[in-house]
Amino acid sequence: VEPNARIREIRLMFHKLYPRWYPARQSIKLDPKGKSLRDEEILQHLPVGTTATLYFKDLGPQIGWTTVFLIEYTGPLFIYFLFYFRMPFVYGLDERFTSSPHPVVNLACICHSFHYIKRLIETVFVHRFSHGTMPLRNIVKNCLYYWGFAAWLAYYINHPLYTPPSYGKKQINFAVIMFLLCEAGNFSIHVALSDLRRYGSKTRKIPYPTKNPFTWLFFFVSCPNYTYEVGTWISFTIMTQCVPVGLFTLLCFIQMTIWAKDKHCTYLREFKDYPSLRMPIIPFLL
Amino acid sequence: MAASGSGSSRADNGYGSQPPRRRKGPGALATAYLVIYNVVMTAGWLVIAVGLVRAYLAKGSYHSLYYSIEKPLKFFQTGALLEEYLLIAKYLPGIVPSSVVLTAFQVMSRVFLTWAVTHSVKEVQAEDSVLLFVVAWTITEIIRYSFYTFSLLNHLPYLIKWARYTLFIVLYPMGVSGELLTIYAALPFVRQSGLYSISLPNKYNFSFDYYTFLILVMISYIPIFPQLYFHMLHQRRKVLSHTEEHKKSE
Repeated sequence: VEPNARIREIRLMFHKLYPRWYPARQSIKLDPKGKSLRDEEILQHLPVGTTATLYFKDLGPQIGWTTVFLIEYTGPLFIYFLFYFRMPFVYGLDERFTSSPHPVVNLACICHSFHYIKRLIETVFVHRFSHGTMPLRNIVKNCLYYWGFAAWLAYYINHPLYTPPSYGKKQINFAVIMFLLCEAGNFSIHVALSDLRRYGSKTRKIPYPTKNPFTWLFFFVSCPNYTYEVGTWISFTIMTQCVPVGLFTLLCFIQMTIWAKDKHCTYLREFKDYPSLRMPIIPFLL
Repeated sequence: MAASGSGSSRADNGYGSQPPRRRKGPGALATAYLVIYNVVMTAGWLVIAVGLVRAYLAKGSYHSLYYSIEKPLKFFQTGALLEEYLLIAKYLPGIVPSSVVLTAFQVMSRVFLTWAVTHSVKEVQAEDSVLLFVVAWTITEIIRYSFYTFSLLNHLPYLIKWARYTLFIVLYPMGVSGELLTIYAALPFVRQSGLYSISLPNKYNFSFDYYTFLILVMISYIPIFPQLYFHMLHQRRKVLSHTEEHKKSE
């Protein structure tokens, strides 16, 4: 192998020798316990002598991030409809294909569907992923989680015995406005992050606020996309006044806080001049 | 469920008292606290054991012994929650070898049985199945806590180690049977009283059926119990054969 070869080429060569292990599945390291080497790394820049020993680990069958997201988000979209349209097997034959007398139920369906359609569009047109793939096993776990919760909360919202919010129209209108603002915010952040990685670059850069007011949250928070996402789900909880939605919101919040803290730590490690005012997910607090 | 498993590959001791290069053992103060804690827990479960024996001798039958040890049982079983919290919050860094997940499972299931089933459904307290799991837990915990105590003091009698990694073979299925039978016995009373259940319509748009939940809990034993049991068997092979090699090399 040439000294100026990239890891990517080594992976391709390895794949030719062992067709079973395609490049995305290979984890190549300098040290058995070390981190996996990136594709762009050049052999001679690595701390090796005249001969290099590389360790290979099989990461298992992989699946592309885009594919994963598409599957994860299409599920809840259609599952919700099964409940909204009251398929016979859901609420019993007597209630089949009936519709709810409450306008908020229709509104909830529109909002829920809008949210997932937006996510699907973003996955296809906006997101730029740093890792191409993830292990196949994850998709079963993730789908169970997203699809399961979608079914659970759709069941209660579209139930014939559903009770609309206690504070009526005021509560619903407030929730809708909050929902729209958070969705717009979330979208703005995704676009801003995607712009940081134009021209297929895979390096990390510090995101900054732009002219779009929604991105001004970057002054206070490292991961405003998560902040807005939690806001969306809080608004949905208020709109439907439904405990399962609240529980889902809580779990999302916990998960996203973990991700935000990770991201925040990574930023702090990589950039010496990282803005010190920023918190991971909630301004000044968390 | 019987004795919790030892998750690490360092087999002989409960607590880290290895040659310094391997793992940092607990400091002297931490060790003191841990020894006191484990001695107290051993004593507690001994109290329960003695209480059972005395009640049996007094009554002449083994039925309805639950009432005589109800309070200490609740106290010491719930005390294990503290232990679990400390493990999870890592206030016991690298000290206890047991896998956090496994012991968490066990503690949760025991506390669930104690409070959410036996305490909550008064009608099952006189059942023999309750005695079955109480006896299994008592013997297991006495051995487990004395195992930890001796390990911390670096004087672990082989008998205790042997007991911990062998008796579970009988005690574990015994405990599980007692637990399952008790939950099963509680079912009709839960159905009748609607215990811990909420139904639609209500303004929180939520429903929960404790009866179905209990059935799901029972079903969950099917995948979980064999895994824990085989894990313990695996640990047993590792621990007990490791000791033999140690003895041979001395």
